[in-house]
Amino acid sequence: MMTRFSFNWIGIACVLAVASLPAWPFSDSYIVAAVIRTLIFIALGQAWNVIAGIGGQLSLGHGVFFGLGAYATAILFNLWGVPPWIGVWAGMLAAALVAVAIGGITFRLRGVYFALATVVISLAFEKLARFFVDLTGGDAGFALQFLGDSWWGLQSREPTPFLWPALALVVGYYMLTRWLLRSRFGLELQAVRDDEDAATAAGVAVFRTKLMGLLLSAVMTALVGTLHVQFYLTIDPGNAFGLFQAVQIQLPSLIGGLGTAIGPVLGGAVMIIANEATNWASSRFDVPGLDVLAYGGLLLFIVIRAPEGLSGPLSAMLRRRPR
Amino acid sequence: MAAFLLEVADVSKVFGGLVALKSVSFAIEEGEVVGLIGPNGAGKSTLFEVVSGGMRPTGGTIRYQGEDITNLPAHLRRRAGMSRTFQKIRLFNNLTVEQNLAVAAMQSTPAGRTWKSEVQSALIRLRLTGLVDRKPSELTLADRKKVEIGRAIVGHCRMLMLDESLSGLTRDEADDLVGEILALNRDLGVTILVVEHVMPVVMAMARRLLVLDYGTIIANGLPAEVARNPDVITAYLGTKKGAT
Repeated sequence: MMTRFSFNWIGIACVLAVASLPAWPFSDSYIVAAVIRTLIFIALGQAWNVIAGIGGQLSLGHGVFFGLGAYATAILFNLWGVPPWIGVWAGMLAAALVAVAIGGITFRLRGVYFALATVVISLAFEKLARFFVDLTGGDAGFALQFLGDSWWGLQSREPTPFLWPALALVVGYYMLTRWLLRSRFGLELQAVRDDEDAATAAGVAVFRTKLMGLLLSAVMTALVGTLHVQFYLTIDPGNAFGLFQAVQIQLPSLIGGLGTAIGPVLGGAVMIIANEATNWASSRFDVPGLDVLAYGGLLLFIVIRAPEGLSGPLSAMLRRRPR
Repeated sequence: MAAFLLEVADVSKVFGGLVALKSVSFAIEEGEVVGLIGPNGAGKSTLFEVVSGGMRPTGGTIRYQGEDITNLPAHLRRRAGMSRTFQKIRLFNNLTVEQNLAVAAMQSTPAGRTWKSEVQSALIRLRLTGLVDRKPSELTLADRKKVEIGRAIVGHCRMLMLDESLSGLTRDEADDLVGEILALNRDLGVTILVVEHVMPVVMAMARRLLVLDYGTIIANGLPAEVARNPDVITAYLGTKKGAT
């Protein structure tokens, strides 16, 4: 019976299910918050996927753009009372400037320079965030001034109001990625990913293409950073700029399918569900450590069995069934 | 002077202490099919890269359509109609055949035409229409070569530079591809420069040969004349200079 549904219908059903989540009988604020966390996680993966998956430029320090979005919004709000719906633009602008600086310097070179530069910039920003205590709160990070339920500050006591913007972001990024994969710009990015010399021979401006791809990805990431800080109300240097964060950003695409539109969505969802399930099992059966072991094992299993990500085998499976 | 499509004047290229090209000069007229031959290490690939924009020459100038393009980036040369293939085929392996061509067509389709129609006519010309949705890894070597040539000629192409395109093909496949290449010249007026190190192949295609040896042009003329040229025979057999 599954066979009559196309991917699109499954997708629409999932979106509707998530959008109506607060109305569901078993739903509570823990579940809603978990879904929002998942959506933020997915959106970060989608943003990274643009430059790394579609454009083939391995950013190992994408936390920079995330952190800039989060910190710019938070600093402007706490120190000068600038509301986040203005601060978000400052975050995206800061991310864009850093992207142009990194890309401008490293994208004329080939090889590992870009990847290395992203790591170095990440570490530099983490140090800066720890050093300028007055501005950033230093090591401990800082918390947004809490206004309670506020449109001005885009804050809420309950997680629920964040569900829809987060969902809209994921759906929007999904549509954007799908468009990218067919558009001229997206084809140029993919051509550059597959072979820079061949792309040049096809008339593609390789440097400009990589730079624009990074710019788009950085701005997308910064936007999620703002959403993140509004939702969690707190940010610290490690969480913003740290390499662990940068690795987390890469996982949804790697698990779900690099360079595909559905990949980061699928990967992010599977990872959080697996994480929650193993957490639950570990506390249910009172075996501490089981969650990390099972979660790690599962990721390893996926990577070994489906090195191209889950999206490939899944779509093949759906296609193989008779219509 | 302006009658030449490509003019290479006094071009040299030095890698560290190694002189790869030494004051190379030649010109190609619009519509010609020219072969560039020479023994291994003669500097063919270097000359090919310098002309197509992959490398900057150490000295000298390159003019295309009467304009100095010595410092023009490679992707802008392609948009100006100067295309190339690679010695080892380079395709966009995660894109379909159609998308491989579309990327190039989008960059150089002349005003008044659409890139889609350009892609379509190139696919028809090279008899690739049945393979549009395939990925390069699903194609035979001969078809991959055709896709690469398709990517080179789609959109605006006035001059096609082929780097040992026939290597690795069976006799029949090579004959087929030579036919396609000559048809491009005949039907579309595309000027062709072929680099080969196998003499018989290039003798059959080119109406004029340039012979490169130790970074200099040692012969330039009709294939039959060049084949009789004592310097060329020496360069290939290596008797007098005692090479290798």
